[in-house]
Amino acid sequence: MRRQLLLYFIICTLLTPLLAAAQAITVTGKITDAKGAPVPGASITVKQSTRGTITGNDGSFTIAVMPDATLVISSTGFKTQNIVVKNSTENLQVTLAEDVAGLDEVVVTGLATSVKRSNLANTVTTISAKELNGTAPAQTFDAALEGKIPGAYINQNSGAPGGGLSVKLRGVTSVYGNTQPLYVVDGVFIDNTATSSGVNVITSALANGATTSNQDNPSSRIADLRPEDIEHIEILKGASAAAVYGSKAAAGVIIITTKRGRQGKTRITVSQDVGFITARKLLGVRTFTADRAASLSSDSATSAALRQQFLDAQSKGQLYDYEKEVYGNTGFARNTVLSMNGGNENTSFYFSAAQRDEGGIVNNTGYRNSSIRLNVDHHINNNIKIGISTNYINAEDDRGLTGNDNAGVSFGIALSSTPSFAQLHPDALGNYPNNPFAASNPLQTIALMRNHEAVNRFITGVNLEAILQKSKASTTKFVATGGLDFYNLQTTALFPGNLQFQAVNKGTSIQGFTKNLNTNFIASLVNTFTPSDKFTLTSSAGVTQENGDYNNLLDVATQVIAGQSNVDQAGALNATQFRAQYQNNGIYVQEEANFNDIVSLTGGVRFDESSNNGDPAKYYTYPKAGISWNLTKMGLLQNSFFDNIKLRAAYGQANNVPAYGSKFTSLVVSNIAGYPGVLVNTQEGEPGIKPERQNEFETGIDFSLLKGRLGFELTYYNKVIDDFLMLGSLPASSGFSSKWVNAGNLRNRGVELGMNVKPVASKNITWTTSVNFWLNRSRVTKLTIPPTPQGSFGYVLGSFQLEEGKSATQIIGLNGQGVGVLGDAEPKFQASTYNEITFFNKVSLRLLIHWKNGGDNINLTNLENDFGGTSADYDKVTNKAGVPDAIYRIMQIGVNAQEFVQDASYLRFREIGLYYTFNKLPVGFIKSIQVGASLNNYFTITKYKGYDPEVSNFGTGFSSGVDVDPYPATKRADFHLSVNF
Amino acid sequence: MKKNIISWAMLLAAVAWYASCKKDYGNLNSPTIEAFLNNASQSELNNLVSGTESGMRNVVNLYLDDVGTIGREGYRFSASEPRYVTDLLGAANATLSGSNFYITNPWAARYRVIKNCNTLIQAATNSKLITEAQKNGYTGFAKTIKAYQLLLTLNLTYTNGIRVDVADADNLGPIVSYDDGLTAIAKLLDSAKTDLASADIPFTLAGFSGFNDAAGLTKVNRALAARVAVYRQQWAEALTDLNASFFGLNKDFTLGVNHVFAAGSGDQLNPMFIPQNQTGEVRLAHPSYAADIEAGDDRINKATLRNAAASLNGLSSNRDVWVYTSSTAPIPIIRNEELILIYAEANIQLNNLAEGVKALNVIREGHNLAAYSGDVTQGALITEMLKQRRYSLFFEGHRWIDLRRYNRLDELPLDRPDDDVWTEFPLPVTEQ
Repeated sequence: MRRQLLLYFIICTLLTPLLAAAQAITVTGKITDAKGAPVPGASITVKQSTRGTITGNDGSFTIAVMPDATLVISSTGFKTQNIVVKNSTENLQVTLAEDVAGLDEVVVTGLATSVKRSNLANTVTTISAKELNGTAPAQTFDAALEGKIPGAYINQNSGAPGGGLSVKLRGVTSVYGNTQPLYVVDGVFIDNTATSSGVNVITSALANGATTSNQDNPSSRIADLRPEDIEHIEILKGASAAAVYGSKAAAGVIIITTKRGRQGKTRITVSQDVGFITARKLLGVRTFTADRAASLSSDSATSAALRQQFLDAQSKGQLYDYEKEVYGNTGFARNTVLSMNGGNENTSFYFSAAQRDEGGIVNNTGYRNSSIRLNVDHHINNNIKIGISTNYINAEDDRGLTGNDNAGVSFGIALSSTPSFAQLHPDALGNYPNNPFAASNPLQTIALMRNHEAVNRFITGVNLEAILQKSKASTTKFVATGGLDFYNLQTTALFPGNLQFQAVNKGTSIQGFTKNLNTNFIASLVNTFTPSDKFTLTSSAGVTQENGDYNNLLDVATQVIAGQSNVDQAGALNATQFRAQYQNNGIYVQEEANFNDIVSLTGGVRFDESSNNGDPAKYYTYPKAGISWNLTKMGLLQNSFFDNIKLRAAYGQANNVPAYGSKFTSLVVSNIAGYPGVLVNTQEGEPGIKPERQNEFETGIDFSLLKGRLGFELTYYNKVIDDFLMLGSLPASSGFSSKWVNAGNLRNRGVELGMNVKPVASKNITWTTSVNFWLNRSRVTKLTIPPTPQGSFGYVLGSFQLEEGKSATQIIGLNGQGVGVLGDAEPKFQASTYNEITFFNKVSLRLLIHWKNGGDNINLTNLENDFGGTSADYDKVTNKAGVPDAIYRIMQIGVNAQEFVQDASYLRFREIGLYYTFNKLPVGFIKSIQVGASLNNYFTITKYKGYDPEVSNFGTGFSSGVDVDPYPATKRADFHLSVNF
Repeated sequence: MKKNIISWAMLLAAVAWYASCKKDYGNLNSPTIEAFLNNASQSELNNLVSGTESGMRNVVNLYLDDVGTIGREGYRFSASEPRYVTDLLGAANATLSGSNFYITNPWAARYRVIKNCNTLIQAATNSKLITEAQKNGYTGFAKTIKAYQLLLTLNLTYTNGIRVDVADADNLGPIVSYDDGLTAIAKLLDSAKTDLASADIPFTLAGFSGFNDAAGLTKVNRALAARVAVYRQQWAEALTDLNASFFGLNKDFTLGVNHVFAAGSGDQLNPMFIPQNQTGEVRLAHPSYAADIEAGDDRINKATLRNAAASLNGLSSNRDVWVYTSSTAPIPIIRNEELILIYAEANIQLNNLAEGVKALNVIREGHNLAAYSGDVTQGALITEMLKQRRYSLFFEGHRWIDLRRYNRLDELPLDRPDDDVWTEFPLPVTEQ
C-alpha cells in the first residue's frame, strides 16, 4: 500500500504548476464583532489556495497573499465574509455579523470536502471547544460529550476512574455488532476496543471459567484523548451523512479536529485546575438492632451469637457504615495544561503538554493522563500544504473491583451482605480479619489488591493538500490524510495470597499485554468547477484503506510467591492469547452541485471490501444523495418574517463489518493433566457472514429569524438496519451456544429539534442559549432466529429480548402471570439546554442541563442488598403482604421481575461554570487571566433507586442499563486558573 | 488539459489495481473444525480425545449443585447469586426457569462435549492415516462419553426429554421422551462396546488410569450401562453389565474413573473445592445429613463441622460439604462403590434378598457400621439401599435422581414453609 501512496505523491508533485511568479504582499488586520469586541480564533483562508491563518486573542492577524486574492473570514457564530485584497493592506478592519443559527459554519460533507451549514442536506452536530470543555470539564473526553449531542444516547458504564461510556447515535444500530461510533481524529481512525484485564478469573461474573467477560469493567480507549486539545467535533449521526466513511460508519462517525497553530507571535497558555470528586449518591445502610442482627440467621445458636456480636459492637461503639468507608471518600483532582502556538507565513505549530491526576472515591483508585501533542502545518509552496499531528499519551488508572461477581469479592457484593456490626478493620499489626458475612473483607481487598491499566499510545496523522491545477473556473486538489494509532496496554490485576478469598489460589496475578496498531489513509482528488458566480460543482474521488492488528496476551498466575507479581513467580500459570487482523478497502466518488446557494445537490457512492466479511473479495456498494433547497435565497419569501428557510433531505447507506473471526468454527484449547486438548468453541462460525447495512433517510427544515438571533432546526429520520449482526443463541444441543448471524432487520425513527437563541444582547449582558430535544423509537421488523433472552440474567430478573414487531430495547421478564414486557431501555425523549450568560465581557456563567425522560434499567444492586440483609429500607413495611419490604422484594424473585425493572429518568445539571476574565493587567507579558469554578454532574433529580441511573454492568454493548453493584458514579467541583502570555 | 487526461488515466489504472487487491487473514487464534475433518493425523485426533475428557469437567460443579440442592444434600450459598436458594429450592412462589444458568449452562456444557465426540467420530472416520482398529478405539471412546453426557442431561430434564440426534447442528433431531432417551443411551453404549471389541487405543486418558486400553474402556462402558439399566429397571441386564465391568464386592470402593484436575496451562482446578469454614461463597451439607446418619458412620467426615454456622435467606447449616478436599481432588465419573450398590439394588429387585444384604453389608462394614439388622423384605431393603446410596454417593450427583426413580421425592425435607421439591428442570428456552 505504501507504494500506492508514493505513486499518488509523485503524480501530484509532477502536476503541480510552479507558481511563485508574482510577489506576495502582506495583509494585517483585526477582526471584531458588532460590538467591537475582538474575535479570537477566527479563520482567514485564501480562496483557491491552501493558505490560511487564525486570529489571536486580540482578534488580529497577519497573512501573506498574492495580489487580487480573496480572503474568506469565518468564525463559529458569525457570518462568513469575503474580502478582495488589491494591494498591500495594513490594518484591515473587519466586522463580522452574528450568526446564532450557525448557518455559515463550515461542515464536512465528504472525506475531503466541506460545505457551509446553510447548504447542508443533513443535520451535523458541531461541538466547539468551549462547549466541550469550557464549562465544567469532565474527567475524560468521552464523558465530556454527555448531553451535548441531540440524537445520541450516551450512558456512563460506571464511575470507575478512566472512563468507559457507551455512545449510541440515533438508536441501536447493531445488536451484538459494533454499536459505538467511529472516532476520527485529524483523519486518523482511532481504536476504541475495550480490553478486559481478566478479572473474571477473580469475580467469575461470567461463571464458566473464562478468563475474560464483558462484565470486567474495562476503561475506554477513546478516553485517552485530551479534551483540551480539541478545536471542534462534528458528529455524523447516520448513514445519510456518514456513507463515505463506509465500512465502519454504520454507528455514526465522530470527527475530531484538534487545535492548529496560528500565524504570529507565539502565544502561551498555562492553566491549572484543582478539584474534588465525591460520590453522587450513596444508598445508605440498614440500621441494625439486636433483633435485626439475630434475624440474619434462622439457626438458633447462630442467631444468638449474632445478637451478642451486635450488642458487643454496640457497647464498644464499633458500629460502622461500611458503604461510606468504601465509597464515601473524596478524590483530589488536579489538571495542568501548557499550550503554545505560533508560526510564520509558511510554518505554524500548536504544542501542548498536559497532565491530569485524580483520586477516586474508593481508596487506591484513580486516574492519571499525561499527554504531549505537536501539530505542525507547513506550506511547501503556495500550492502544497502539509499538516502533521502527533500525540503521545500515557494514561494509567486503578479501577478497583466492582460490578457483578459470583465469588463475593467485588466491593459492592461484599458490602451487600456485611452488616454494620461486622468488624473488618485491621488489627494493630495491620492484619485484616476475615469477614464472616461475605467471601471477602472489602477493606482488605481495597488495601491489598491492584487493578491497574497503563496505556502508552502514539497517534500521528499526516494531512497533505496540493493544488494540482488552477484556472479561472476550475481548481483541482489532491487531498490525502492518513496516519496510525498505536498503543501498548498493560493490565495488572494483582490479588495477594493473604486476601480472604485467595484461600484456594493463594495469590493471583493477572497480567495482560495488548498491542494494537491501526493504520488508515484516504487519498482523494477534488475538483471545484465554478463556471459562473451562480454555479459550483465539486467532484471528488478517492481510495481508502484501514488496517487493524490487535494482539492480546493474558497471563493468569496463581499460587503466587508472597509479595511477588511477576507471572513466573508462581506455582501455576495459564496463558491465553487473542489476535485479530483486518483490512478494509474502499473506493468512492462524490459530486456536489451548488446553484447560487439556493439548491445544493450531493450524490456519492462508495464500494467496500473487508477481510472480516465471509467473502473478503466482494465489494459492497453504498450510495448516498442529498438535497437542500433554500427558500429565502430563491426569493420566494423575501422581506418576510424569516431570514432564512431551508428544506433538506438526504439518504445514504453505510455498513458495519462483522467482528473478526465471525466466519470460523474454532476449536479452543482445553487441556487435561498435561495432555493438549481441543474442544469445539461455543460460538459457531458463519462462513457466509455479511456486513450489516444501514439505510438512512433524513429530512428537515432549518430556519432563522430576527436577523439570525434565533435559529431553528427540525429533523426527522428513518434509519433501517438490514441484516443486523447478532450473536444469535442457538439451541445449545447443537454443541454451540451462539453464532454470528445476519439475524434480521430493525428500524429506528426519530425526531431531533434544535434551537439556538440569543435572547439578550445588550451592551453589558449577552445570553445565548441552545435547546435540544430528541427522541428515538426502534422496532425489529424482521427476525430470522427465535427470540431468546439476551444480555442480562434471564426472565427471573428481567432481560432484553429481540422480537419481531417489538422495540429492539424492550425489557421482558416474569410479570406474575408469565413472561411479559416490563419496560424499555429507550428513553421516551431527551432534552438538553446549554446557556452562556456574559456580563460586561468579563464574567461568564455557563450551564448545561440534561433531561432524560423514561428509559428503564434492570437494577439488581438494591436486590443484592436486600438479599444480604443490609438495604437501608429493609425494615420498612409499605407492601401489601405486610412483611418487611426487602423480604417482600425477595419473595418476588421467580414470580415477578417488575420490581427490578426501574425507570431511570433523570434531570441532571451536567455542567455549571462561572468564569471571570482579567484583560487589563499591570504586567505586560500577561495578556489575560481567567479564573473560574465549576460543578460537573453535581445535581441530579431522579427517582431511580440505585447509585445512579447511568450504569452498565455489561459495558458498551447492546444491553446497557443493567445495574449490578457498580463503582458509584461521581460528581466533581473544580477551580480553574488560566493565564495567557 | 492533456496533463489532466494523463493524470486521470493514471488514477483510473491505480484504482483498478487497488480494487483487485484483497486480504484474508484466516483464523489467527486456533484451529478450525474443517481442518480436523480433513484427514486428521493421530495427534490431531488425540487432541480431540483430550479436549473431550477435559470438556467433561466444564460446569460439573453446577450439575452437582443442581442435583445436590434439589435432592436436599446441601445448600450452595452465594452472596451474589440468589437463585441457588430461591429457584432451586422453590422458595415462596419461585419456580425453575428455562432461561436460567442452572439448566442452560450444564445443558450447553454437556452438548458441547457431545459435539466434540461427534467431531472426533467424523474426523476418525475421515482419516486415512489411522488403522481400522485405531478408528474403532476413537469411536468406541467417543460414543461411550457421548452416552454418559446424554445421561447427565437427561437426569436434569427427566420427562421433558433430551435431543439425541445432534450430529448436524443445522438440522437437529427431535426432543425425545425420557424412556426413549434412556433407550438411545443404552443403544449408544452397546454400539461403543461393539467398536471397542476390535479396537486399538492409540491415546492416553488422564483420569482413566488402569482403564486406558480397549478392555479397560469396555469395563467403564459396561459400568455406565449398568447404571442406565437400573434407571430402566432392567435388573437382570444390570447384573450382566456389572459382570462385564470393573465391579467387585471386594475391590476398593474408589476403583473407577474420574475427572482429574491440575493447575497446568489450559487445565482446570476442581470447581467443587471450597476450603472449610469459608464465608460468603460456601457449600453446606443439609442439616438432615448429620441428623439422619447412623452413629459411628465414617461418612460423617464428608460433612465437617464448621467454626460457625452459615445462614442465608432462612436457611442455615453448621457443616461444610467436605467431599472434595483439595483443588486437585478428583471427581468420580463412576466408581466401584456405586457398582456395589447397583449390585445390591438389582438383586433386591430380583428378590435375591440375601445377595442384596450381602452387598449392603460390604458398604456398611466398609464405613465402620455393623451389618444390616433390619427387616429382610424387599421394601425395607430398598429403603436401606437408598440410604446407603445417599451417604456413599453424597454430592456425587445421585440422591435426587434415586428418590425420583422410587417416587420418594416427597420424603425430602422442606426447610421453609413454601419451598418445593422439583422433579425436573424445564428445557432451556433455546430448545423449546
